[in-house]
Amino acid sequence: MNDIKFSRRSLVKAAALAGVAQVASPFVLTARAADNVKIGLDNPLTGTYAAVGKNELIGCQLAIEQINAKGGILGRKAELLVEDSTSGDAGTAVQKARKLIDRDKIDFLLGNVNSALALAMAGVAAEKGVLHIVPGGHTDAITGATCHWNVFRVCNTTQMEANAVTPSLIKNAGKKWYYITPDYAFGHTLQAGLEKACAKNGGTKVGGDLTPLGTTDFSSYLIKAQAANPDVIIFLTQGDDMVNALKQAVQFGLDKKVHLAGAQQELEALEGLPPEARIGTWVFEWYWNQPGVPHVAEFVAEIKKKTGRVPTARTWFGFASTWTCALAANGAKSLKAVDMAKHLQDFHLPPEIALMPDGAFYRKGQNQLIPNLYVGHAQAKGSAPDDLFKVTDVVKGPDAAGTLEESGCKMTWPA
Amino acid sequence: MTQVVLFNVFNGLIVGAFYALMALGLSLIMNLSGVINFAHGGFLAIGGYLAFTLMPYVGFWGGLVLAPILTAVLGLIVERVLVRRLYGRDPLYSLLLTFGLAFMFEDGTRFIWGAQSLPYQVPGWLLSPLSSDYFFLTGYRLFMVVIVALAVAGLFYILNRTRLGMRIRAGTLDLETVSVLGVNVRVLRNMNFGLGIYLAGLAGVLAVGQLGLQPTIGSSLIMPSFVAIIVGGLGSLPGTLLGGLLIGVASGVTTVFFPSATEAVMYVMMAAVLLVRPRGLLGEEGRF
Repeated sequence: MNDIKFSRRSLVKAAALAGVAQVASPFVLTARAADNVKIGLDNPLTGTYAAVGKNELIGCQLAIEQINAKGGILGRKAELLVEDSTSGDAGTAVQKARKLIDRDKIDFLLGNVNSALALAMAGVAAEKGVLHIVPGGHTDAITGATCHWNVFRVCNTTQMEANAVTPSLIKNAGKKWYYITPDYAFGHTLQAGLEKACAKNGGTKVGGDLTPLGTTDFSSYLIKAQAANPDVIIFLTQGDDMVNALKQAVQFGLDKKVHLAGAQQELEALEGLPPEARIGTWVFEWYWNQPGVPHVAEFVAEIKKKTGRVPTARTWFGFASTWTCALAANGAKSLKAVDMAKHLQDFHLPPEIALMPDGAFYRKGQNQLIPNLYVGHAQAKGSAPDDLFKVTDVVKGPDAAGTLEESGCKMTWPA
Repeated sequence: MTQVVLFNVFNGLIVGAFYALMALGLSLIMNLSGVINFAHGGFLAIGGYLAFTLMPYVGFWGGLVLAPILTAVLGLIVERVLVRRLYGRDPLYSLLLTFGLAFMFEDGTRFIWGAQSLPYQVPGWLLSPLSSDYFFLTGYRLFMVVIVALAVAGLFYILNRTRLGMRIRAGTLDLETVSVLGVNVRVLRNMNFGLGIYLAGLAGVLAVGQLGLQPTIGSSLIMPSFVAIIVGGLGSLPGTLLGGLLIGVASGVTTVFFPSATEAVMYVMMAAVLLVRPRGLLGEEGRF
């Protein structure tokens, strides 16, 4: 009897185990995961760009939740796979991109904050024919000289930012400009763009320094800049470097002698500055405080619910990039990169994704999003604790973007 | 032009004084225990973050006093629990340990305080430049130099005038003999490590007054300190001080002529010293 009892128990146990195995076995899981449409985000989570990279991630996550709540991509669930590209190592970023494409079989590639890494990833995406969207890497080449049919960009080109801010800077601050520029792709093209725009508006360059990425002490550059006697010192540093440079410039009292300004400024950097250092004329690429623009308040509320803080331009980049994937696939009714890329030519983002007064569209033949740009100045205190920027001028994208020929993009499509 | 160069020499001395403060702590630990503390920058960052966290309760001055002490306590614990086990082994072991700790500290601060820069504020009266012509001489930077001078003076006083200092110096020369003479080497090393980390914490609090408070602050400041030690000479604290000042001035002056090489010039100096005088400017023969 005992023997029978024993074996019956064993049988029950084995059955239970088999049942568990049905649900939990890796095979079943992979089979299910394969049904998902995969979006691979290869972006910095550590290093200088960790803060902005994480905000882009939050935007992506919110978009994924919304996409799935609205029926997914082609009726399948959207899934976000995240890799840390590091902030400055192109080798790591490329290796992670290859891993996402080859091993995880992603349908879309997103990234990178760092322009050089974004360029390197675009190379991989072009080789593999995967639809690649660059949320926040600004160097012109991505949708310019080295553009690809399958690589799209949400944030502005450096030339667009330069064109947007230059007229008001020349008018309000003066014509002699001195540049403090980070020594890598983004800084070089941004400075070149500003020099071009400045000359067009009658200004001149009185000097400039290239600073190594990750510079902590800017005092020696500031001494040199001051000696050149400019009207404006243009800070093109980003992230932590921007915080260090501005903090020191204000401690030196330079804000009382010359105008401190720049092209791209981010809420992340202003939040890291003490109130007295929140100064200068800048471009924001998206801003949360846009009274009267439809759907912005809902987006701000949803992000606040997730993180307790207002969204930044980075959050919006991640959000718009991820939604672009879903809109491209659902619109083209296909996950084939060529079909989706064709569908996105001159594609206007719907207002609840664009979240801007004049909307935003991917320009045909360049794959560059043409959005509004927000020119204004940083402020120590605004209407709310997070209101650190006063928008004075909303520039229309086509006015800042220049012509398609000027972008230098000559796109070739696969036969 | 001459004025810009002179300004930059002077400014370089200020920056160098700060490098020296970091490097002294590092040097102290390396000399007595043979541990190359890669986590020094991590301790520095923690010092800064602690000062930021304490500020609402104890103010700027309270933070300046308390944060380095708390960092030193953390240093004592790390030495007791982790570093101590690796004394007497190949220095590579402790190097790997502290290298790993550096990553843990950086990610730990990111986890606790977030990846974004935090606005650390020093008292307003310290912020303005003292004169309009010498605008790089702000109250805060002079204050930093004074604190560094006091810390260096205090350190040299401890080393030369107190029993603990005498033992540390003796131990640096010949740890075995010191131990045979009845000195508790474990406690000695522990106190020495704590003292070194105290200097890191102090450097951290001072740094965040003029730099952004962010998790990467430690890793971006650690390399100049290593270079300062190698240029100045292993085993010599005055050498470390000299090394710090020299690289500060060198990178300041380089800005005038070749701005994108301000960082590279430190390593060029280090390479030159290693080729011509491998023990460093004031270093002893035969260490490491």
